[in-house]
Amino acid sequence: MNCHEATTIIAAVADGEADRRMRQALADHVRDCPDCASAQQALADLRARVRAELPYHAAPPALRARVLDAVRQQAPAAAPRGWRWFGAGGLAGAVAAALAFVVVNAVLTARARDDVIAAAVTAHVHATTANQLIAVASSDQHTVKPWLSARLDYSPPVPRAEGSGFTLVGGRLDQLDGHPVATLVYRYRDHVVDAFVQPAGTHPQPAGVRTIRGFHVVPASDGAMDWLVVSDVSADVLQAFARTLAAPEPAR
Amino acid sequence: MTGRHPPFPPVNAHRRFESLVMPHLGAGYNLARWLARDAHDAEDVVQEACMRALRYIGSLEGADARPWFLTIVRRTFYDWLQRNRPAEALDGARLDALVDPGDDPERLLLRQETAVALADAVGTLPLPYREVLVLRELEELSYKEIARVAAIPIGTVMSRLARARALLQRSPLLQAVREPSAGMHG
Repeated sequence: MNCHEATTIIAAVADGEADRRMRQALADHVRDCPDCASAQQALADLRARVRAELPYHAAPPALRARVLDAVRQQAPAAAPRGWRWFGAGGLAGAVAAALAFVVVNAVLTARARDDVIAAAVTAHVHATTANQLIAVASSDQHTVKPWLSARLDYSPPVPRAEGSGFTLVGGRLDQLDGHPVATLVYRYRDHVVDAFVQPAGTHPQPAGVRTIRGFHVVPASDGAMDWLVVSDVSADVLQAFARTLAAPEPAR
Repeated sequence: MTGRHPPFPPVNAHRRFESLVMPHLGAGYNLARWLARDAHDAEDVVQEACMRALRYIGSLEGADARPWFLTIVRRTFYDWLQRNRPAEALDGARLDALVDPGDDPERLLLRQETAVALADAVGTLPLPYREVLVLRELEELSYKEIARVAAIPIGTVMSRLARARALLQRSPLLQAVREPSAGMHG
């Protein structure tokens, strides 16, 4: 090793980038070369000073908060489908939610001709983006049903849908095309499922599955009650679930 | 159309952002602060970088989050520089194009008053040198990571790092600190 080569290797060794063979070669060289030995020492001194004296600038807490706010405003509006509704850390502020709602709503109304279907999807998206998914949180139908019945002029069925893979997580009230409606909230894996249930004939029911912006709307009816089930769960799974909901409750 | 410039953050972007990028916000700010040399400007750069990171979060492999984010912060800083301090951006570009940087940076240092802290000496290093030094000594990135962040070959990382250190060693600022009586006014 000559002094020219040593210059490069001194830095590589100091920076932890040299292998054992290189380190050994440098050690051999500096033993006999006072110039390179002093260069190595000078670099060590400089690095010690740099590390001791150079401030590491800490991010202000306000920046952290601002970034989080901005990120949460950006993300939900862009990606309503597949959003992990629960445990997502909530959404920052009513402004973001309202904005998301306006954007999604505008697209929906432009595309959807059927008011009730559009309203169901809008209600679903609004509830999830605004983080107002559940007004009464319970997996117990005997808690959800009285809560809803007390606020409506009808008493909605609240099936637990056991064994379907869907879990009842709560309920809330919505308006569909001017009529108050009971909304049962179910969870399927990471998806949220809204089941709107109203007395039969409140609205004209769609003939089959409709899909708006990636959300499927599945109708079902047992003659007394009409259901509209809305989610981004795949259509066939959702159809099977809708049939379960509209089927008479097994006797207990 | 969505390849190079995704218009929106991908699905689950904010969740991934919070778990993968937020832990490195401090590193991003430190780099931006050293490059911009101003706390307020550094905040602007970091905030913009975060929005970019959110859009591109799909391209991030978990293990590389810090160099990945620093790459975006650096890129954002240079774009910001172009918009806000075009003269400084031009200096950096000119230096970048030189095969041999010559003595200009040294003269730059010599013009400084003596007896300022080492931090100030680093602050006066031309950007291409300052960034590799900060990435190496403060962020403790490897040559390979620095090469990726600064988009230069490893050989260039090594030569710029050597240049940065040589400039600091030869700077009168260090001499002044070693012999405090020489330039201090009390």
